Amino acid sequence: MDSYSFLTGLRWQDVLDIALLSYILFRLYILFRGTYVSRVIAGLAVIWCVQEIAQYLGLIVTSWIMQDIIAVAALIIIIIFRNEIRNVLQAKNLRAIFWSVPDKAVETPLEVTIESVFRLARHKTGALIVFPGKEDLDDVVRGGVVLNGDVSKEIITSIFKTESSVHDGAVIIRQGRVYKMGTILPLSRQEDLPSHYGTRHRAALGLAEVSDALVIVVSEERGDISVAQDGKMTDIRDCFVLSGLLERHLGVLPKAGTEQSEARMHTMVAALVSVLFVTVVWFSFSRGFESIMTMEIPVEFTKRAPRMEILETSVNMVNLKLSGSGSLIRATRPDQVHVKLNLENAVAGRNTYTITRENVSLPPGVFLKEADPRAIEVSLDAIGQKELPIQVDWAGHLADDLVLTQVTVIPDTAKVSGGQRNLKELVTLYTEKVSLDGIAGSGSQKVNLVMSQASLKLLPGAKQKVELHYRIEKRTAEKKTDG
Amino acid sequence: MRRKTTAILFIVTALLWPAAAPAADKPAASPNKPGALTLTEAVMCEGIESYAPKTPAVVFSINIGKVSCYSNFDPVPEKTYIYHRWYFKDRLTTRKRLYLKPPRWATYTSIQLREADRGPWRVEITDKDGNILKVLRFSITD
Repeated sequence: MDSYSFLTGLRWQDVLDIALLSYILFRLYILFRGTYVSRVIAGLAVIWCVQEIAQYLGLIVTSWIMQDIIAVAALIIIIIFRNEIRNVLQAKNLRAIFWSVPDKAVETPLEVTIESVFRLARHKTGALIVFPGKEDLDDVVRGGVVLNGDVSKEIITSIFKTESSVHDGAVIIRQGRVYKMGTILPLSRQEDLPSHYGTRHRAALGLAEVSDALVIVVSEERGDISVAQDGKMTDIRDCFVLSGLLERHLGVLPKAGTEQSEARMHTMVAALVSVLFVTVVWFSFSRGFESIMTMEIPVEFTKRAPRMEILETSVNMVNLKLSGSGSLIRATRPDQVHVKLNLENAVAGRNTYTITRENVSLPPGVFLKEADPRAIEVSLDAIGQKELPIQVDWAGHLADDLVLTQVTVIPDTAKVSGGQRNLKELVTLYTEKVSLDGIAGSGSQKVNLVMSQASLKLLPGAKQKVELHYRIEKRTAEKKTDG
Repeated sequence: MRRKTTAILFIVTALLWPAAAPAADKPAASPNKPGALTLTEAVMCEGIESYAPKTPAVVFSINIGKVSCYSNFDPVPEKTYIYHRWYFKDRLTTRKRLYLKPPRWATYTSIQLREADRGPWRVEITDKDGNILKVLRFSITD
C-alpha cells in the first residue's frame, strides 16, 4: 500500500462516515460547551492521543491503561454528568439539538446590569449604579464596602433591597465586576433640578459633574430610570437606549461587530477541529495496524446471455487475501464478501477472466490484496434443444427362470435443452436404475429420468417420470441358459 | 430334414416377431422399396441355435458370458454388407462388418461379457452407407 493509496481507496461511504461523525462531535461541542462535560471530553481526546502515541512507541502497559480508560469513559461521562446531560437535553428542542448554533449561554455583565436595573424599576426599588470612566473615583466617592464579586441579578437586587444596610449607597461596577457597594457620592449643587428628583438623582448628578463616570439612577418613588453623565441627566424608557449609552461609555463594540464575528469564527474553528479529529481517528481505526486474512469465497457469475449456458469453470471458489485494520478484518463475515464475474461479453467457448478489485465487493475499510487463482476460465455454450430416445437402465438380478422379453417406455423420447456442444455428444436419455430384484412377472412402474449433465434440462411439458411396461416370460427348457 | 425345419422356423419367427420384439428404436431410414434391402428381424439374444436366435430378451445376466445380436434380411437384392455397432453407455465399443448375399440372409454378431460390462447397451444396425436400419437397446445386469 503506497503512501497515497489510502486516499485513492476512499469511497463515498467513507467520506459520509467521516462527515457524519464530525457533525455529531461538533453538535456535542455546541451543546455542552462551557460545561464540565466538554472539558472531560477534551481530556479524553488527549488520553486517546497519548494512547495512540504509546501504542506507536510500543509502550504496552501505558497503551493498555489508556485503552481501558477510554473504554469506560463513555460510562463515566454518562454517570457523573447525568444531570448536565439531562439539563442540556431537556432545555433544548430538537432543532436546537441537531441544527442551530446558539449564542454563548453566558450573559455579559452589561446585559445582567440592564436587566437588573429594569427589574428594580418595576419593583420601585431605588438604586444607584456607577460605571467609572477613565478618571479615578477614589477622591470623589467616600466609604463603601469592597465586594469585588461577579455581576448578577441576585447580587444587585439584594444590595438595593430596603432591608440591606448598604441600600442607600451606590454600587460601583468596574471591569465587569461589582467593585464596591454602599459608597457615598457627592451631591450636585444645582438649584434648578426638577422637583421630583430626590437625593439619589442629586448624588448621581453630583458625581457626573465632577467625573467622567456614568451613573444609573432608579427612582424609589416613581420607578423611573435616569442616567447622569457629563453633568446632565437623561431619562431612560427603553433598555436599548440604556444599553447604547453604556456601550458607548465603556467602549464596548456592538454585538453585530466584533463579538458576533468572533463567535462565528469560534464555531468555525470548532467545526474544523471536529472534522480533523474525526478524520484522524477514522483513519487510525480503519486503516491503521493492518491485518491480513484469507477467505474462501464462491464465485458468482452474473449477466450471462439468456441463450448461453455455463458448461465448465476452472474453479468455483477463490481464496481472497484481505487487508484492513484488525477490528474490521475480525468483523468481516464471508457473506459480506462477494466475487462477481460479469459474463455480459462472454462468447461461446472458453473465456478467461482475471479477478480484480472491481470484481470483488468488500465491506468498508477492507481491501483486496491478492486473489488465488487470479484467473478463472469459464466455458460457455449456446443453448440448443434435442429430442432423445429414452433407455431403461436395468440393475440387479432377475430370477434365473425368468426372461424380460419386452419393455415399452411411455413416452419413448423426451425433449431436452442444454449447451449445444454437450447436446451434440448426447444420444440417449437414461432412466434411473430400475431394480430387477423382486420382479416376478410382467408389470409396469414409473421411474425418473436422469440428467447426465447439470446444464441439461427437460423442456417445459416433458415429464420427469416415464412409464415402463415390461413383459416377463418363464424360461422354457429350450430357453434355459448354459450359464 | 433338419435344414428344412430350421428354414420353416426362420420364416415363422420372422412373421411373428414384430409383435413380440424387444424395445427397439424405429429405423432412421427404412428401405422398404420393392426389391430393396429389407431388415425383417433384429433381436438381442443369448445365442444362436440352429440359425435362430436363442432366448431373445432385453435384459441379460452377466453370468451367461455372451450376448448376440441377430439380424435377418429379406430380400437381399445384391451382394452387400451391413454393420453391427455395439455401444456401451453411448460409447462405441466394437463395429463389425457383416456380408449379405441374395436372395435373403440372416447374420449375427456376439460379444463376450466381462465384469465391467454391466449397464445399458445398444446395437445399431446400419447399411453400408451408415444409414441406421434398427437400434436394439438392452442391459447387462447381475
